[in-house]
Amino acid sequence: MREQSTKKGELDLPVSLRYKETKRQKTGVFFRRKVGWLFVIISIIAISIFNFYPMVQAFLLSFQSGMGANLEYVGFDNWQRLFGDPTFIAALTNTSIYLLIQVPLMIVLALFFSVLLNDPKLKFKGFFRIAIFLPCVTSLVAYSVVFKYLFGIDGIINQFLLNFGFISQTINFLADPFWAKVVIILAITWRWTGYNMIFYLAALQNVDKSIYEAARIDGANSIQQFFQITVPMLKPIILFTSITSTIGTLQIFDEIVNITNGGPGNATISISQYIYNLSFEYTPDFGYASTVSYVIVILVVILSIIQFRVAGEKK
Amino acid sequence: MKKFYLMLLLVVGMVVLAACSSGDEEASGGSGSEGSSDLDTITAWAWDPAFNIAALEKAKEAYDGDGEYEVNVIENAQDDIIQKLNTGLSSGTTNGMPNIVLIEDYRAQSFLQAYPDAFHPLTDVISSDDFADYKIATTSYDGEQYGLPFDSGVAALYVRTDYLEEAGYTVEDVTNITWQEYIEIGKDVKEATGKNMLTLDPNDLAQVRMMIQTNGSWYVDEDGSTPNLAGNETLEKAFETYKEMMDADIAKIVSDWSQFVGAFNSGDVASVPTGNWITPSVKQAADQSGNWAVVPMPRLDMDGAVNASNLGGSSWYVLNVDGKEQAADFLLNTFGSNPDLYQTLVKDIGALGTYSPAAEGDAYAVEDEFFGGQQLITDLSTWTDEIPGVNYGLHTYAIEDILVTGMQDYLNGAELTTVLENVQGQAEAQLK
Repeated sequence: MREQSTKKGELDLPVSLRYKETKRQKTGVFFRRKVGWLFVIISIIAISIFNFYPMVQAFLLSFQSGMGANLEYVGFDNWQRLFGDPTFIAALTNTSIYLLIQVPLMIVLALFFSVLLNDPKLKFKGFFRIAIFLPCVTSLVAYSVVFKYLFGIDGIINQFLLNFGFISQTINFLADPFWAKVVIILAITWRWTGYNMIFYLAALQNVDKSIYEAARIDGANSIQQFFQITVPMLKPIILFTSITSTIGTLQIFDEIVNITNGGPGNATISISQYIYNLSFEYTPDFGYASTVSYVIVILVVILSIIQFRVAGEKK
Repeated sequence: MKKFYLMLLLVVGMVVLAACSSGDEEASGGSGSEGSSDLDTITAWAWDPAFNIAALEKAKEAYDGDGEYEVNVIENAQDDIIQKLNTGLSSGTTNGMPNIVLIEDYRAQSFLQAYPDAFHPLTDVISSDDFADYKIATTSYDGEQYGLPFDSGVAALYVRTDYLEEAGYTVEDVTNITWQEYIEIGKDVKEATGKNMLTLDPNDLAQVRMMIQTNGSWYVDEDGSTPNLAGNETLEKAFETYKEMMDADIAKIVSDWSQFVGAFNSGDVASVPTGNWITPSVKQAADQSGNWAVVPMPRLDMDGAVNASNLGGSSWYVLNVDGKEQAADFLLNTFGSNPDLYQTLVKDIGALGTYSPAAEGDAYAVEDEFFGGQQLITDLSTWTDEIPGVNYGLHTYAIEDILVTGMQDYLNGAELTTVLENVQGQAEAQLK
């Protein structure tokens, strides 16, 4: 009864007033849109000039080849050359290994730490959070150099292992194709786990505690709670962090250059380092270098699509 | 509404103004400090404040020509110089480019060929006969002399006389020897003293480079671009020798510069085969004074190989931008014709040039107590003249990266000819 009357009341408004109202709304929308565009136009122009235009140019460049300034169009030669180029294949393989081992390892660790740190009964929470996040504020070059010396042949890791009898003679970590990769993976994991952990911590604070309470009442143990509640609730964040980490790992450069410089042989070289070498270390061939860069672009796009499909299908 | 547009106008105006003014600043700052368009100052880029930068400063003091201009010396890391030159020259803008730049000899050809017309020929300015032959080969292109040769990368064998003595050898026993003899001595030294004979870095084939140049060979053919790996007997011999060293267990493996220097400073190795620019680092360990001697580089055990080689070294280049005449004048007046300047360089900096007339000066004859009273500079400059000239070509570092992997395979037991054929194929595929 009351509902009807209010509806009626609305309809009772004079026609002119109603019209005025909608008109004002329309101009409002129009005005707001304009303002919106005006706010973003500067960034749009800047991004077009400094991002999209270079991207198009680099794409054109990827069909050219030649030394330094003597570039000429070679069609798909660069792309053909890619598949017969053992250094590129080595770089691609190494980068994939880093990706496949390091990203899952780091995501799981970050998730694990964040859940531990989210425990309301934990003491010195702030201290632990800072301790795990702190690596993220160190400079890439600085921490790489530290890792290089830690794992040097007379570095502290070797001495530790030797003194405690784990090994009988020092391991030359950085000169061994297998161990060099391990060191790189350890280094990146140390540097970036805390960064991802912060995202999970923030997300966990938004998860309603009553869900856990209900689960406990229903008799779910903490492992079940983790897999049935925490992980599904964090799904969008996991997707986000795994995409950003994937992109970051595909572009990995500083650590490799500073810790192993791609060695031994090409055992740790990454795609980005190869691009750098092609442009600045060897006789410059910017055309081929941008072809290799576009491989990263393509990989990022493909991997992101896959990750969206796998993790974000419900949205 | 009006207010809004007014605000917008203001904001846009400010942005435009800011953009313009910053642009102006950059433009004026650029031409002012870089000196490309300003003929009162010319700019020179080099990388080592203790070495080539210091040499430029000495050259400025020594300048006695009529030119009225300032020389502005700017320090850049070598990698930065390479990057800046590559990006600047390939974009075609000369804005911000220096007038004089120092380039490592291994990279010289790649710059000269990748950016034709970017460098100013010095053919008529300097007389190439005054410089060591091997430097001329690397600094000229297409019949024109582009570089003014600077420091000598003459390689030498630095030996610990006390360790040799302990193993029953004298300095004469390691003078003018082959690498095979060197390995034998190395085994005895290791047995007697427990010290390794040398350091090797599996990621850096400087050792192989020095070895093959003793026989006048290189990674590429005379044309400077065709990979010369498969069937290159000198390279095969160098690979075999390298493996013998590894197998004889006389090499300490290092993985970077500081470990390399640390090894001989701490007395862990009995010899250092490398470029003469290592002298200051060897001398850092003052307590080892008198225990060192410098002898000619061992040669490969082949006909035609000599006991002289090279590692590194760099030369001055003039860019083809405004101010090139002044830059050429400055270089000619100093590094190109002033023997006294080279005496100063040797005395004050320890930089050994490749200017032959300078060799007669007093500073070259000084006896070095650290090396047991040896006339080190005289010896080094004598060996400089014997270095076989090779065309380093375009791809030294690209091929070396491929070779490093090949060397690993070979050390792990692969057949040498197969390995070299492999790397040849890879190099041909990569260096199109």
